[in-house]
Parts: sequence; structure tokens; C-alpha cells
Amino acid sequence: MADSFSLSFSQNMTNNLFQNRFAEKDQLSTFSFYLDKNLSRLSLYAEGSYSYLFKNPNLTYYVQDAGMDYLHPLNEKSAFYFSLAGRGAFYRSDYSDFNYLSANFFAAFKSYFSQTSIFKSNYSFEYKNYRDSVYDFLSHALIVSFDRYFQTNTTFKGEIDWGYKYFLHPYIYEGEVPIEGHRYFMGGRGRGYSDKQGQKPYQTVTQTEGQGLQVFSLSGLIAQGLGNSVGLNLSGVKQWVLSGQNPFSFIEEFYAVENPSYDRFSWDGYQIGSQLTFLVPWNIQLKLGYTLSKKEFPGIESLDLEGNPLGLTRKDNRNQIEVRTEKNFPQFSVFLSYSYISNSSNDLYFDWNGHFFSLGIEWNIPLGARQ
Amino acid sequence: MKQPSEMTLFIVFLIVNLTLPSFGQQALHFYNVDQEIRVEGKIQKITMEPRYKDSPPFLILILEQKNTKKLFQVEISPVWFFDYDFHRGEHLIVIGSLYSSEGMGQNIIAREVQFRGETLVLRDEHGFPNWRGGKGQMRRKGKGKGKRY
Repeated sequence: MADSFSLSFSQNMTNNLFQNRFAEKDQLSTFSFYLDKNLSRLSLYAEGSYSYLFKNPNLTYYVQDAGMDYLHPLNEKSAFYFSLAGRGAFYRSDYSDFNYLSANFFAAFKSYFSQTSIFKSNYSFEYKNYRDSVYDFLSHALIVSFDRYFQTNTTFKGEIDWGYKYFLHPYIYEGEVPIEGHRYFMGGRGRGYSDKQGQKPYQTVTQTEGQGLQVFSLSGLIAQGLGNSVGLNLSGVKQWVLSGQNPFSFIEEFYAVENPSYDRFSWDGYQIGSQLTFLVPWNIQLKLGYTLSKKEFPGIESLDLEGNPLGLTRKDNRNQIEVRTEKNFPQFSVFLSYSYISNSSNDLYFDWNGHFFSLGIEWNIPLGARQ
Repeated sequence: MKQPSEMTLFIVFLIVNLTLPSFGQQALHFYNVDQEIRVEGKIQKITMEPRYKDSPPFLILILEQKNTKKLFQVEISPVWFFDYDFHRGEHLIVIGSLYSSEGMGQNIIAREVQFRGETLVLRDEHGFPNWRGGKGQMRRKGKGKGKRY
């Protein structure tokens, strides 16, 4: 029998599912389970998540994760951690090009240099194989961080991050064939007027040799404790694309649904954020956050609303506020969150704003030993 | 051939995973709900020590109680060594089960830790572990999975 098992349900609502100018409302219900089994220093786990979209049921999907992790202590101050995991994502027919199988290896090392400073380093490798091979990639990422705590209840943390993503089968676009009633569709899925999501790409394409994208970032964090009940975090990250560019004609993000054209490798720019955390009466956690980002997407050309190239690389400025509250009960926990995002872009199709609500419950069912 | 629906896959994986074989574990001590206490204090030392048979070493915090200056060894969890960064000098409130052992002084099996405006729930009210394995610090329990905006 597994050691721990949990079930969770969340209901998510937005007025802008596809996060573009032509805002479309939708609701998303997600059911998940998680369980794990500890075998000495080895832990096995599995997690499944089914998400149903009410107005866009063809984007409904199921994600299954399974993996193992292993903790290897070196001494009383240092330890290695290894994880090997696999994932499968399965979308309904219209979005089945997003289906993928992936493998992930993660190795981490953590050591207390002193009782007030911590060194951490980790490496991750990921391989994803999509049904539409244009998205296939493998990636490597290396992160090194160092933090130090001061008696003023302040922690300073610095981090260096390098990553390399290699697209195995990128396309070269050779021509466009306009489709009446649409702005444009250029590979991948979903771009176009909101009532035409899920159209097939129409461009003539040729598959080419692989193409790499290399990024480097520096980030910093200041965390200030204000008693036991209040915490303040200020963080910033600056990222550079050292080589390569995005192999897609456009990049888009969907709310609560993974879109393979966008990830941490896609952009060059910076992001700063702040977060205030409170413990209010009845042990309720409250978080208030604000994030500002300025991102440029190398290789992505901005277009006007008729689909004509503007000769500019796409640049987005984003402001986001988020409020989240969480209460833990003996057997379950509940949360409620709201965020508002305002995204301005030199590609007007991606000039948008949106409201996002989530309400969730997680139920923990103990199955293992009470040690 | 007709492909299985996402809901069918969800149910199949749920059943298969719940019937994983059982492997026994032996604990040297248990969470005693009748011995639960609340201690507020400052971290004096952080270490990793083996505590249970067939289990990875635990993250242990030596906590100095605010008023009495008494020292407690607070058991956190194995995996959370990578998830949360504790430092000497940080203030914490710990709720957990107190037990004494020869040569180890006063010990607390932590159920809940409060610091910097956050609550970390390590165990349920009966002492059953709440932590998770898998991907170390990249995972967070119940934190709105899958949001990408």
C-alpha cells in the first residue's frame, strides 16, 4: 500500500483562456490524485490530473506523472538528491498535436557552508516527444545558488542559471496561404480569431536540422521576516539569450494549459516581483504578490491585426497582481486565489488583460506508518 | 481502434497506483497526539540525522525556546531538506509531539511550522506525514498546479 495519498479538486475561471486580444471566457475543472511509497532512501510516486474545459472541451486533457527520487546524505550538512520521472499528456482530438511523452532527470546538491549560509546546485535534463514533432526538444539546465541569513532576520540569495534547449525537428516556413475569416495561422495551434481555435496549420513547411537556444540568467532575492506572522520577499531575474532563437512563428500561452511554444527558454529580458505573506487569525495564510516583466522573444516577429509583418521583434510588458489565501484543516486544505494580468505587446494580438480565479480543495488520506 | 478517453486513463492509473505492493517500515518512535506542544524559539543548529529504520535521514533543527532557553530537537522531514532553507537565528513556531529519549534530550516531531508568515504543514492531526517525494524543490503541494501565465 502507498504511504500517502491525496485527492484534489480545483475550479478555475477566467475571462481570457487563450490570453490574447480576443478574450474568451472559460472554466476549467481539475481532478488530481497523488500517492507515494517510501522504500528506505528511495521514494516512488505517481500523480494523475484530469482537466475538463467547459466551453472548449476539445482542449480537455489528462496528465500522468510517475517517478522515483533518492536522497543521499554525504554528512550531517550536505546531501545529494536525484529524481527520475516520466510524464504523459493526452489532449482531446483537436489538440492532440500537444500530446507528449517526456523523461526528466534531476540531480541536486545542497550544503550548509555555515549554519547561516547555504550552497545549492542542481542539474536537470528533459526530453519531450510530441505528437507534432515540431515541438520535440531536449534541454539541459544548470543552477547554482548561494544564500546567507543575517541576524536582522534578512536572507540574501543569489542565483546563476544556464540553460540549453535543442529543438530536434524545427520547421522552416516557406509561404503563407491566407484563410478567409482568420487573421493568420502559422504553425502550432490556436492562433486566429477566438472562435476558430484549433485550426490546422496552413503554411508550407519544411523540416530542418535541429536548432539550439541557449539562455543565461542572474537572479536575486531578499527575504525579510517581520516576526513570525509576516514575511516580505523581493526578487528579480535578468535573462539573456546567448545563442539561437525561437523556431516558431508565434508564441502563445494558455491559462492553466501547457502550450509547447512558450517556456523559460523563450525570452530575453527581466522580471521583478514582490510578495507579502501573512498569517492572519485562525491560522489562515494570505499572500499578496506583484510581478513586473519585460520580455523580448528572439525570432518572433510582431504582426499587425491583419497579419502583416511589422519588422519588429515581439516585446511584451506585463503587470500581474495576485492574491491567495489558504487554510489548512486536519485532513484537508482549501485555497482561493485571484490574479489580474495586464499584458501590453507590440504585437496587438497579444495586447490583453485577464482575470483569473481559482478555488481548490486537497484531501490527504494517510495510508502509511505514523512515524 | 478507438483511443481511451482521458477520464478512463485517469481512473485506470488511480486503481493501478493504489494497489502498489506494500513494504513494511519499522519506526522507533511514534507521534503521540497526547504529548502535543507549541514551542516558539530561535534555530541554534541545523543538521541531518537518521531517525527511523529504512528511512532517509531527517532534517533536524535545534530550537532554543524563547522564554525558557530550553533546547529541543525538532524533526522536520527528509525531503524538505531540499524544499525549505532554514538558517541559524531564524524564529520559528513549532507545533508537534514531544518525546524524550536517552542521550537525545527533548525531541519534537513537528506537525506544523510557522515562520515568515507561512505555515508548513508536515503532518496531519494524527501525525501521519504530509510531505511528498518527487522532484524535490520543483514540487509544491497544492499550489495551483499547471498555471502558466
